[in-house]
Amino acid sequence: MLTIGLTHYLVLAAALLCCGLYVMTTKRNAVGILIGAELVLNAAALNLVAFARYGAGGLDGQVATLFVIVLAAAEAAIAIAIFVNYYRVLATIDADRGDTLKG
Amino acid sequence: MSPIETYLVTGVLIPLAGFVLLAFLGGRLGKPAAGWVAVLAIAASCGLSAKALWDWTHLDAAGRLAARTGPYEWARLGDTVLTVGVNLDSLTIIMFFMVTLISTCIFVFSVGYMAGHSDEIDHVSKYHRFFTYLCLFDFSMLLLVIADSLLLLFISWELVGLCSYLLIGYYFHKKSASTAAMKAFITNRVGDLGFIIGLGLVFVHLHDLSLAGAAAKFRDAWAAGSPLFDPAAGLLGLSPATWMGMLLFCGAIGKSAQFPLHVWLPDAMEGPTPVSALIHAATMVAAGVYLTARIFVLLTPEAQLFVAVIGCITLTLAALVAIVQTDIKKVLAYSTISQLGYMMLGMGVGAWIAALFHLLTHAFFKALMFLGSGQVIEGCHHEQDMRKMGGLWRKMPVTCATFLVGVLAIAGAGIPAAHIGLGGYFSKDEILAVAWHRAYGREDHGAAQSHGSVAQANGLWRMGKGPTAPEVSVADIDQFIPASWAQPPGEHASESGGAAHHRPVADATPREETHPGAAQAGHARAPGPRWLWIALFVVPVIMAYVTPFYMMRAWWLTFMGRPRDHHVYDHAHESPLMYLPLVVLAIGTFVSSYFLFRPLVAEGAVQMSTAPFLTMLYDGEAATAEHAHGVPIDHAAHRALVPAVGFAFVIGFVLAIAIYGRGLALATKLAAALRPLHTLLEHKFYFDELYGVVLVGGVAALRAVSYGFDKYVVDGLVNLSGLLTRVASWFSGVILDQGLVDGLVNGVGRVTYALGGLVRRPQVGRVRNYILFAAGSVAVVVLWAAFGRVK
Repeated sequence: MLTIGLTHYLVLAAALLCCGLYVMTTKRNAVGILIGAELVLNAAALNLVAFARYGAGGLDGQVATLFVIVLAAAEAAIAIAIFVNYYRVLATIDADRGDTLKG
Repeated sequence: MSPIETYLVTGVLIPLAGFVLLAFLGGRLGKPAAGWVAVLAIAASCGLSAKALWDWTHLDAAGRLAARTGPYEWARLGDTVLTVGVNLDSLTIIMFFMVTLISTCIFVFSVGYMAGHSDEIDHVSKYHRFFTYLCLFDFSMLLLVIADSLLLLFISWELVGLCSYLLIGYYFHKKSASTAAMKAFITNRVGDLGFIIGLGLVFVHLHDLSLAGAAAKFRDAWAAGSPLFDPAAGLLGLSPATWMGMLLFCGAIGKSAQFPLHVWLPDAMEGPTPVSALIHAATMVAAGVYLTARIFVLLTPEAQLFVAVIGCITLTLAALVAIVQTDIKKVLAYSTISQLGYMMLGMGVGAWIAALFHLLTHAFFKALMFLGSGQVIEGCHHEQDMRKMGGLWRKMPVTCATFLVGVLAIAGAGIPAAHIGLGGYFSKDEILAVAWHRAYGREDHGAAQSHGSVAQANGLWRMGKGPTAPEVSVADIDQFIPASWAQPPGEHASESGGAAHHRPVADATPREETHPGAAQAGHARAPGPRWLWIALFVVPVIMAYVTPFYMMRAWWLTFMGRPRDHHVYDHAHESPLMYLPLVVLAIGTFVSSYFLFRPLVAEGAVQMSTAPFLTMLYDGEAATAEHAHGVPIDHAAHRALVPAVGFAFVIGFVLAIAIYGRGLALATKLAAALRPLHTLLEHKFYFDELYGVVLVGGVAALRAVSYGFDKYVVDGLVNLSGLLTRVASWFSGVILDQGLVDGLVNGVGRVTYALGGLVRRPQVGRVRNYILFAAGSVAVVVLWAAFGRVK
């Protein structure tokens, strides 16, 4: 019988990371990019939880995951705020249009 | 200091105080007030000098000697002590009085004169400046009079020159005035150069710059037979002592406008008329004669001859030029030069007293005539051309009368039999008498008879002075001179020794013993050929006829006849402020002819008589000063010349009236008939033109040479160095700076730019790319961490 082990988690996390990266690199919508970033973060958080369960680190991974969740929340708040302003300036949230600093 | 010295020094300082006051506050005092301040200053000075004169005449010989307290030490140069003090003798006192008195008259006149003259330049009144300069002028002149050392004399001498420059150029916005001022100043500098070299010679040879000290050292050197008197030791066959005297006299040539430096004086007429009067009467030109009188003791026979010849040339040229002048002030200017020539001639022939006497009388009548001409010019709407005047006696009676007094005085008018006469009658004739004596006096009495009227004069003179009638001369003097100063203290001995003209040999002998060097060196012999001495007498006598002619011409053209220009005539008027000084001066002319002046000058001569040459040269034999120059020569002298010049003024006047009595018609015909002569005189013997060609041309040639040198040599060097600098700067600028330094700097910049361009390329501005980069980088790191370490 198939036993769910560490490897499964790691593969899932890797898949998740790849999904996140894919979303981040292909989406032009800034919110989409943010969602992709959330996926990447959650992939990392999944790894941490998995290592905490199967590794010898005790609850360290769990705690770090809590930090990651809080950080993701804060990051989302800040990112949304940036996007609102971005929209006000450029009347769009297409990330590719934000190249006015290019020399 | 003694009281008299205090009076004099205070009298000198008051005009200086006036000058300082006016210089700083004059502008605030305004138009009439500034003038009156100057008048007050000089009047106070005059009062003090009158007091000094009064005290002086009431002092006996011992008191006078005691009154002189100086000299005081001023500075030391090595072992030579420079002293300063008041040169207190009769000449100083009388000169001081004359200068202050005439200045007072002129100052008062100036207030009236300037009231009617424009004094604004660029709408700012320069009125106070005029009186400021006048005060400084008087201060300088008075300092010169009381100076007892050549150095102090020179300092005040230069101050006088400066003031004349300032005053002649008072209307400096007029080109002619500023040019005349410069001409006066530069011409004087030429003379002053000689003077200062002479001063240097005195300092080197005599080691003493005080008048008395230098004279004493000079006398000692003479007695000791010093090489100073050796012709071989000097230049051009003249001894160093002669050169010294001649160079000192050069200063007087400049200041007293003697030939060949006389050209500035007529031009100086550009100044306001009171200034002309001041320069011509009391200050500037008098300074030259006064200097000659003071350095007389330093003049050798040759130097005296030089002085006499210069004076003779001057008086001749000036008198001739004066005949044709049409500007009333120019006539007076040339007559001044001519009279100064007479004074210098007098100095040169040894008539020391007569020359100074002439200076004093001349000061009065020349101031009188100049102020008169100022009144005429002012009254006639600034018209100076005599041809446009005429008939002014109706409008200006006082000026006319006082001017006539001046004309009579300068012409030497008098009644020969009685001792009545004016100014020049006594003083000029006395100069001529001494000149005659130098020419013929040494001859045998009988031989002189062959010289016609001159010899007759000789006879008369001898009679007046000779042993046969000594009482005549004494009576002559006592008649006019108060007893208190009739006989100078030193004179008693000679009087008792015999007033005779021919002194016994016994009297002459002690003198030769005193100066043994005299006979050995042969100085007793008068220098120069005989004909020269005769010319020195004959020419001035002829000119004594010319003087009355041109003066009467001026007076007649101005005041007599019919008015020739009605515009001028209608405008003519006179004002009291201006004619009152004229009256004072006219009275002064009378008084100065008779009283006080000559005796005091004669006393001065006694104080100067210690000089070796003064006395010897006069007679050409060893006579004493008292004898040769003292009172006995007084009125007898002019009587001696009665046949020669006694009636010169009558002839001159008659001739002038004959020609000009009926207007200018006859004169114009004469001028046409004598065209070349008239042109020569009209152009003043072409002296200005000559100097223009020789001096100005010489300077212009020098300028051309200097200009060429500057343009081609100096500028060439400058340009060469400029070129070198340009090459060097091109090298350092273009090669070093632009090539190397800038290359480095730009190279750094270019490299940085290129790098920046390289680095910039990945920065495309797309968030997705950045993420991809970041992810890729992480992937590489992860792969490297996973597999890279395996090896």
